[in-house]
Amino acid sequence: MDFKFSERENLLRKTVREYAESEIGHRIHKMEETGEFPMDLMETMSRIGITGVISPQEYGGVGLGFMARTIVLEELGRVYAAIPMAIQVHHMACAALNDFGNEEQKQKYIPPLAQGKTMGCVAVTDPSGGSDVVGMQTRAEQKGDKWILNGRKCFITNSHTSDYWIVIAKTAEGAKGLSAFIVEKDFQGAKVGRKENKFGLRGANTGELVFNDCEIPRENLLGQEGGGLAVAMKTVSDAGRTGMAATALGILTSVLEEAAKFASERKLYGKPISKLQAISFYLAEIYAELDICRLLCYRASWMRDQNMRSDTENAMAKWYTCDAAFRCAKKAVEIHGSYGIMREYKVQRLLRDAMVTIPAGGTAEVAKIVMGRAALAPYELQR
Amino acid sequence: MKQKQKYFIFAEQRAGVLHDVSLELVGKCRELSDKTGIEVTAIICGKNVRTLADVLLVQGADQAIVAESELLEPYRIMPYTSLLADICKKYRPDVLLFGATSMGTELAPRLAARLNTGLSAHCIELDLDGEGNLLQFVPGWGAGLMATIKCPGHRPQIATVKPGVMSKLKVTTTAKGNIIEFKVPATLDTSGPTVIKVKQKKPEKVSLEKAEVIVAGGWGIGDQQGWRLLEELAEILCASVGATRPAVDEGWAEEDQMIGQSGKTVKPKLYIGIGISGVMHHTVGMDESGLVVAINKDPKAPIFDYADIGVIADYRGVVPALTRAIKEKIKSLTCHLGDN
Amino acid sequence: MPDPKYWAQLKIDPETKILIREGIPTILNPLDKHALEAALQIKEKTDAEICLVSMAPSSAVMVLREALAMGADRAFLFSDRSFSGSDTLATARVLSAGIRQIGHFDAIFCGDFSLDGSTAQVPSQVAELLNIASVCHVESIKWSEEDNFIWVTQKIEHGDVTLRATPPILLAVTKEINRPRHISFLEIIEADEKEIRILDNSGLGLEPKTIGISGSPTQMADLILHKGQREGRIITGSLTEIVQQLTERLTQSGIL
Repeated sequence: MDFKFSERENLLRKTVREYAESEIGHRIHKMEETGEFPMDLMETMSRIGITGVISPQEYGGVGLGFMARTIVLEELGRVYAAIPMAIQVHHMACAALNDFGNEEQKQKYIPPLAQGKTMGCVAVTDPSGGSDVVGMQTRAEQKGDKWILNGRKCFITNSHTSDYWIVIAKTAEGAKGLSAFIVEKDFQGAKVGRKENKFGLRGANTGELVFNDCEIPRENLLGQEGGGLAVAMKTVSDAGRTGMAATALGILTSVLEEAAKFASERKLYGKPISKLQAISFYLAEIYAELDICRLLCYRASWMRDQNMRSDTENAMAKWYTCDAAFRCAKKAVEIHGSYGIMREYKVQRLLRDAMVTIPAGGTAEVAKIVMGRAALAPYELQR
Repeated sequence: MKQKQKYFIFAEQRAGVLHDVSLELVGKCRELSDKTGIEVTAIICGKNVRTLADVLLVQGADQAIVAESELLEPYRIMPYTSLLADICKKYRPDVLLFGATSMGTELAPRLAARLNTGLSAHCIELDLDGEGNLLQFVPGWGAGLMATIKCPGHRPQIATVKPGVMSKLKVTTTAKGNIIEFKVPATLDTSGPTVIKVKQKKPEKVSLEKAEVIVAGGWGIGDQQGWRLLEELAEILCASVGATRPAVDEGWAEEDQMIGQSGKTVKPKLYIGIGISGVMHHTVGMDESGLVVAINKDPKAPIFDYADIGVIADYRGVVPALTRAIKEKIKSLTCHLGDN
Repeated sequence: MPDPKYWAQLKIDPETKILIREGIPTILNPLDKHALEAALQIKEKTDAEICLVSMAPSSAVMVLREALAMGADRAFLFSDRSFSGSDTLATARVLSAGIRQIGHFDAIFCGDFSLDGSTAQVPSQVAELLNIASVCHVESIKWSEEDNFIWVTQKIEHGDVTLRATPPILLAVTKEINRPRHISFLEIIEADEKEIRILDNSGLGLEPKTIGISGSPTQMADLILHKGQREGRIITGSLTEIVQQLTERLTQSGIL
């Protein structure tokens, strides 16, 4: 096993880190206050290649793969995690189109997304519950040469900032009854609903999509009729879980930096608190957690780039990294003492952001269903 | 009798105004000649520069080489390099000094390469090693390093010296030295870029984050009059004024002058903290400053852990006295236009 | 140049007084990025080719790759054990010899100085050895294609000078000249295909007494490192003594 990054990957990381520090750092305050995603960042991010990192070059992307994407999201997340949260969902739309789209759909929809001219989102979650995908209420019926969509999608990242929505709806009963559609925000009958007010990842816009006899052209069916569950599962598992994991990895990196820096500067009893064993042990644990999460995230990305099936690895990376980011952020707040609960200090935001990554992109419990299956697979009795 | 060392100084002038650094260099050479015999020669080039030569003689030069020509006004790098090379070839000085000015820092290296000799830049001190070599003290690596450079095997030893560091001599009543006219050869190299125009402008106010010098005040300043003393010091140092949260709350400074966790992070070359206790809230915003000076009358103030130089005293006495002393020392501070 | 984040780890060889750079990552001198950006802006308007040159240890290949990703076309690295310990003149000899080998050029762009040594000497000396004109402290550049004039402004005390130059010319730029662009991923991919040629002294053919320590007219008589810690020196005495010591210290550090 070669655990080193390539020269190109190192340069990629350096480039994104420098970009994030110089372009995103000074906007954090405003994003936290307003909860708005700064659309003008899309221009610079697309020029660099962030929006099209996993889309093939023939459709205007950079075609670099999932390891590169993880590095990109991680470095963005180290500065302000709401940004990679929004971008990773954008990538999910790109991935769904690339994996399931026909040639016309790819030619029409991937280039503007890859080049950051528009944003994309993936809408799976119904008010009836995102964890119960098959139980969704949003329906689509064929009428002539159109599909008519009715229902609502909630807690959708990029709801109000994206022009292209990948929407999963029920077209028949049962697990084979879901279908995926490419919906443009200007389609008749489609509109955005309420905007949510999250306590973390505030710079990423989250909200509702509402469909009232929304007319979708026939050719915008994505993949097979009845194949919507596969679209949802694959997109959420591959792009979604690794994207959330990378975002949380960025948060965790920042957690360690903030905690270690503070502990080295803050003096009590005449010396920095890092000299106290209790504090250094906390830092040791955070250090180890960061390394564990890195290995999980990078390994899942590597497998995907090798075209290996990585559902379990994706789930582990997502569940563990988001959880670790939160646990370590909590420790970091405690290391800061009363400074930690003051809004002026970065570490309280890391805690809030980390907590929000836990349900976003799939709950820990659903991830564990995937992992549990893998754990028990060797022992399942043959039917 | 031991031969006197020949120290030449390139006296810089622009539009007929002599740069103070030239006189400072004369002063330094005179100081060094206490240790060993040195003949100090100033070189002045341009058009109608004889009066400047007199100034140099009156302030300590033993002689002045004057090179006058239309071709030498305004300053251009190629003619000046060519001329100085000719002068050095003729007179063979042991040392040639320049001010580390915009002109000096581009001209001296070119000349050193042409004469195949050594050059050190931005010296803040000069001394002798007792073997006829000039010791050149050069700070580097963000002032984390002090190098002592010498050039034993090549002549002239060339150095550019930071303006404002050395001291001018007091003006003597009569000039004792003589003027040597150097005839500008017809073969002078006149190639190189053409000067189209020279623009003078007042320096803009610099933001805290970009400031090279910051004077900051805290709770210990006490009142508005005290803050005024701090601002006067800042003015003479061409410094930006920073503050801690209590100073802003008291209304002595604006919110955007606050340095610290909830304010700005600064990295000036010099940071002077006055009446600041030095809690973490503030020090995280200035800890990467170059030289840190702290003035506080409380000996237990944590700021002293972050300072290179600490003064335990009431600032009301120290700061005005310091302002006065610096005013005297620097007449040619670069931020003051037309002070000469 | 060695990454400033690691300067606290620098050590000095007690005998040769040379800085030990081993183990400290090499980065691109920030001012050189501004120089490259200036060249790239001209490349956008004309059909220029940008060639990078550097004298550095072989680990600098990564730095050159980064500069190629910014948009330069190819790179030359002059690297040889015998170059180590060079002062600015010896360095200028290596660079100018290398540039002569590369062939024709219209302009050379450099950063005004590097953040480590900060001498600002190499640009002028390279120009001198190549026998071309030079302008340092450049704050703006405008290359007029019709008449092939290069208009530059040079920063001077209290103002600036507008100069009109013709190629070949060397321009050393300040950081105020521009904001270097962010590197794009496509350019990182393309940079892998761009050529980085490494030449040692057998490729340049410089005589040993003109390079390295033997080729350096200036020598290090002494070198003192200031470690990261604050001095923590307390000045005491009468008011006059305090003020005098303070003023001395301020002038000594070159700030006044």
